[in-house]
Amino acid sequence: MIDKKVDSFVQSLCMGRIEEEIIFPFPTMKAGEREMVEQVTASVDQLLGGREKDFRAWDVKGELPPEFIEELKGFGLFGLIVPEAHGGLGFGSAAYSRVLQQVATHDGSVALTIGAHSSIGMRGLLLFGTEAQQAKWMPRLATGELIAAFCLTEPGAGSDAASIRTTARREGTDWILNGEKLWITNGGIAGFYTVFAKTPSASGEGKAHMTAFIVPRDLPGVSVGPHEDKMGIRASNTTTVHFEDVKLGDEHVLGEVGQGFKAAMKILNAGRSGLGGGCVGGMRKLIQLATRQARERRQFGRPIAEFGLVKQKIGEMVVDAYATESVVGVVAGLSDQGYEDYAVEAAISKVFGTEALWRSADEALQVAGGNGYMREFPYERIMRDVRINRIFEGTNEILRLFIALTALNRVGTQLKELAHGLKGAMNDPIKGFGVLSDYAMKHATIRTGLVGEKRSFSKLHPALSEIGDHYEGLVREVAWVADRELRRHGKEIIGKQFVSKRIADVLIDLFVTACVLSRVTASLEKQGEKGAARELEIARVFSRAARSRIRGNLHRVDANDDELVSALADDALEREGYGWDLMTS
Amino acid sequence: MALKIMVTVKRVEDPESKIRVKPDGSGIVTDGVNYKMNPFDEIGVEEGLRLKEAHGGEVLVVSIGGEKSATEIRAALAMGADRGVLVRHDGPLDPVVVSNILAKVYELEKPDLVLLGKQSIDDDQNQAGQYLAARLGLPQGTFASKTESLESEAEQKKVPGLKLSSDGKRLVVVREIDGGVETIDLSLPAVVTVDLRLNKPRFASLPGIMKAKKKELKELQAAALGADLTPRVVVKLLASPPARKGGLKVADVEELWKKLHEEAKVV
Repeated sequence: MIDKKVDSFVQSLCMGRIEEEIIFPFPTMKAGEREMVEQVTASVDQLLGGREKDFRAWDVKGELPPEFIEELKGFGLFGLIVPEAHGGLGFGSAAYSRVLQQVATHDGSVALTIGAHSSIGMRGLLLFGTEAQQAKWMPRLATGELIAAFCLTEPGAGSDAASIRTTARREGTDWILNGEKLWITNGGIAGFYTVFAKTPSASGEGKAHMTAFIVPRDLPGVSVGPHEDKMGIRASNTTTVHFEDVKLGDEHVLGEVGQGFKAAMKILNAGRSGLGGGCVGGMRKLIQLATRQARERRQFGRPIAEFGLVKQKIGEMVVDAYATESVVGVVAGLSDQGYEDYAVEAAISKVFGTEALWRSADEALQVAGGNGYMREFPYERIMRDVRINRIFEGTNEILRLFIALTALNRVGTQLKELAHGLKGAMNDPIKGFGVLSDYAMKHATIRTGLVGEKRSFSKLHPALSEIGDHYEGLVREVAWVADRELRRHGKEIIGKQFVSKRIADVLIDLFVTACVLSRVTASLEKQGEKGAARELEIARVFSRAARSRIRGNLHRVDANDDELVSALADDALEREGYGWDLMTS
Repeated sequence: MALKIMVTVKRVEDPESKIRVKPDGSGIVTDGVNYKMNPFDEIGVEEGLRLKEAHGGEVLVVSIGGEKSATEIRAALAMGADRGVLVRHDGPLDPVVVSNILAKVYELEKPDLVLLGKQSIDDDQNQAGQYLAARLGLPQGTFASKTESLESEAEQKKVPGLKLSSDGKRLVVVREIDGGVETIDLSLPAVVTVDLRLNKPRFASLPGIMKAKKKELKELQAAALGADLTPRVVVKLLASPPARKGGLKVADVEELWKKLHEEAKVV
């Protein structure tokens, strides 16, 4: 039985288990919700279609005109995840993700304005707000009368979010908020801020904790800085937000006092399906642009679409888009089905999706050649727009460490239990026997590949069985490597970033492959092998490429040049530059 | 003087989809084709809503087809129409059958005004409205348009292009005709088919879509209405138009003449 509170597909992989029930069958929207989403996406196309010139002008100017933001409000795009009872559409993750996808096919800045509001700006209120707080704020957030912004990052606290210096101190029954937040999306147009601040521990002594607060713009002491001049998503509003002796009552505390860090992580986590949808939308648009360009552009007397190297790019974009859509779909499904511990899976969808989108933007621009480089065409703008995705909402580097270490932590916990059991086994061999044999069994299974419980797929479509066999072998290998590395490094694994990155990359490929297999299985069951022939091809192409990456990464956990690379970096860091020049040698 | 307005909507292939004819010519390949509301019908819905907003009343949306046609009714409800009627009929439809069915719905609902798109963009027959008016013995105004441009202030303010008389009994319709417009005055009830330049239809807002979920959508069975469902037009074969040959550029009139004379042999 799956326990939705703790079970995680990816974390289980590290222990050699394939918890396929978590991701099979591939999640689908309910018929009613799908019909709604169809109507909404059709309306989004009517609202945003044919405005390419506007989007380009707004990018140059670096601002969405206020009239356009009013249009977005009137259209209802700020109410996507607000419950129906509070005047919104009450969309779950899958539906929300699909709508943001549609917005993103039109413009990145618009998608981000909507996304920052729903995915993270007001997500805390939805997740942790009291009934009274929700009743007070939700209706105005739904109409966009209040736009929401998420305020965590500070000048000195980016990836290391726990190091924020904004504080809220107690003064009587009030909280007094002071601090400065940096790079806040929607900062200048928002009326509702979710703000994270350090608060004193309950006893007033010891380490300060973090607490989330609801801060409306109109309170005395709240101010915003000028609009940042950015590389991409230029029309979306980004500012600093300042808090100077802002007085807040207890009704402004969001969630529990002292639980702010966890809340921030949960918000970012729950918001990933929005960004994931955005990535899919971007890729959908890029494939449309690149295919049209390839068919129209003629060189050497034929459309460039006929050349292998152009086809290769387009084919790979299609596989990347399908894989991203699959992993985003599964993660949205986990959220909608009430799984609680899907942070690793959500992080994988963010890392994979944002990097796949970056590859697609790069390749689509390459297909367009010189045109791609000209501002008259949308490629360069899309490229600038999507670059931020690998940086914000947790850099992909931090998320890779998070993916690996969270999964390894599970294995470590199990090892600790076993070690504890071993100690017991010395004192009480009879009591310890079970533990010992479990331990031996686990290793025997990993080593020999004996098919035990949950070591294999049972829900895969037969047409995918060969891919499934390979997959099961790789899972045994990754479990074996995880176990070995933990024994080798113990707690020091936290500092072994090269190892963690490789394990993360393996887990990313394994999870995305599993999502593709789940989706293609559903498609094969629905349409048969003939109807789903293309998707079967995608599954083959993706899983083969993933397999070869996984093998390489597993191999290089042990056999690598990491120390040499580190030394070269140290050398460059020491001299703050590159140490060679043909002229002087 | 509230008006009861009946507007028809048809589910048609999205012209942006790639339409391919089946190899045996019996129809089109529906796989991968998107559907939407016939664009002329959208104009009809918009005009109905404007009349209702100006004069009060009710906009009733009617469609004929399979269960999927409910999608287009919902779309009209999301734009602001009040309720929908779906007449279920899975057999072939030609303008005669459509007008027969609509006449029966008219008898049931007794609207003051029936608005139809002048034609649907799938078959482009442009007959159902005319047949319906004849069958019901009602005055008709076809190709309804207006003199103000779609960029005018009146359009921005969503002023109806169809002008209702102050007693609410007559309707002035500006019709598109070859080389100009003709203004006619109809007594209500009447049938009006709408043309492209009558208005710019609104699109559904998300709150509108939410509200539409709760609006009434009634289903009727065509067979139970007692209408003659025998089509007079039978589609025998569909074929793609022949692929166009590439054009060419000529340097001057002399070359053009030469090409027309020697190659095309038309002069």
